[in-house]
Amino acid sequence: MLEPSLFALSWRVTRRRLSGSPLAALGALGLPVLVVWLGVVESYATAAKFFYFLLPHVFLVAAQDAVRSDIDSGALENVLFVGGRFRGYLASKGLALAVAVSAYATCLFALISAWGLAAGAFEPRSVVRFALALVAGLYYLAWAGALSYLMRAGSNVLAILLAQSAALIGLVLSTTSRAGLLDYAATGRFPGLGPKLLFGALTALLPNVVVSARLSVFTAEVLAGLVLAVLVQGRLARGLEIRHS
Amino acid sequence: MLEVQRLAKRLGRVQALRDVSFKTRRGTITAMLGENGAGKTTSLKIALGFLRPDSGAVSVGPGIVGYVPDRPAFLPGLDGWTILGLSRVRGGGREASGNGRGFGAAVLAAARSLLFDPSLLRRRPASYSAGNAKKFAYLQNLVLAPDLLVADEPYAGLDPPSIKRVRDLFCGLRQAGKTVLLSSHMLAEMERIADSFIVLSQGRTVAHAGLREWRLLRSGRTGPDIESVFLRLAGP
Repeated sequence: MLEPSLFALSWRVTRRRLSGSPLAALGALGLPVLVVWLGVVESYATAAKFFYFLLPHVFLVAAQDAVRSDIDSGALENVLFVGGRFRGYLASKGLALAVAVSAYATCLFALISAWGLAAGAFEPRSVVRFALALVAGLYYLAWAGALSYLMRAGSNVLAILLAQSAALIGLVLSTTSRAGLLDYAATGRFPGLGPKLLFGALTALLPNVVVSARLSVFTAEVLAGLVLAVLVQGRLARGLEIRHS
Repeated sequence: MLEVQRLAKRLGRVQALRDVSFKTRRGTITAMLGENGAGKTTSLKIALGFLRPDSGAVSVGPGIVGYVPDRPAFLPGLDGWTILGLSRVRGGGREASGNGRGFGAAVLAAARSLLFDPSLLRRRPASYSAGNAKKFAYLQNLVLAPDLLVADEPYAGLDPPSIKRVRDLFCGLRQAGKTVLLSSHMLAEMERIADSFIVLSQGRTVAHAGLREWRLLRSGRTGPDIESVFLRLAGP
């Protein structure tokens, strides 16, 4: 399904769209600016914590490019995509986006690691946290990509952000009656199935929580969710027809 | 080159195709005629792989298939040159000149033959007029060097001089042994260049005739001109 020529095409399109999107630029540059500022006013350790926790959101912001917009614009009804090649293009577009954002994230990781090594504060565990942040980021890309088959440009990302906001507000409100959920997450130990399920639901919406590297069960949940989202996207692409006229 | 058999397709509540079958022969121009909603575009989209039939079969011979839609649209964010470069990769660099300079010269020559201003290639096709977008779609197909060219409303948006150039393009492709399938409402224009005709009505093939048979249909017995023949075939 993934032809090299289609990957070249989607790579070019993705690069142009990312470089031409003010929101993607804001997401990509906002994180390093915040991290540097935190490192200056607080400490490298604080800056690193924020970096790993917020890195997946760089992926989420980049995922605003939507499949539905391509379909509705009629751009897929082009000679480039005759013979059902538009399905391969959509699959390779997701891959190109994942490669582009992962490469950018790796550059940021190299910079923050160099900073940590120079300050003598670099922890080898950071490599694991970075890998987990990548998994969480790819999880966002995969689900935002799947949603983009149904929602127009940007609304897929907005839907995820709104769901996250609702979950966080719910979490804050529930801390009075369910005190301890965040404490359990901090230690990685949950007293029963109820808190575990509740945190599992939160993880599904905010996979950033797994970067602490203490929540192996929830990391497995994010990995499973990632695989599921990729399968869902594959199914949506296989069933897609271009009806625009 | 292209054969479709007993296609049926439902689009929402509408039974767009009921029983469509036709065949195009290599080195010919085939015209597909039909009233609005007869199923022409749906048939073409199924033949080209943009839609899946509910039943029936499509068989496309070996070679590259080109397509010019009624209202062409292009990937946003890319200028004309970039899109042509990507089309070149899709066609496997089959155009006459292999190197970059030769490719550029071939594109410029093709653009001029279609009366398309080459300076537009530096701009994004979304900014083109309808006519120029159509000509750019032909240019994109020429870069691919297709063995089968399918065009939906081939002259839509084009001015008379451009129509002549596009007609010459179809005849040139036929002369080169390529196959052309056109879906159009411009009956006189189709009769001028087509070797065979397919008439669709209410999702069914009601006639599939070669030029000789078509002329027989046109004889005084049935009607004095192509419009009368068409109305007789496609009418209720």
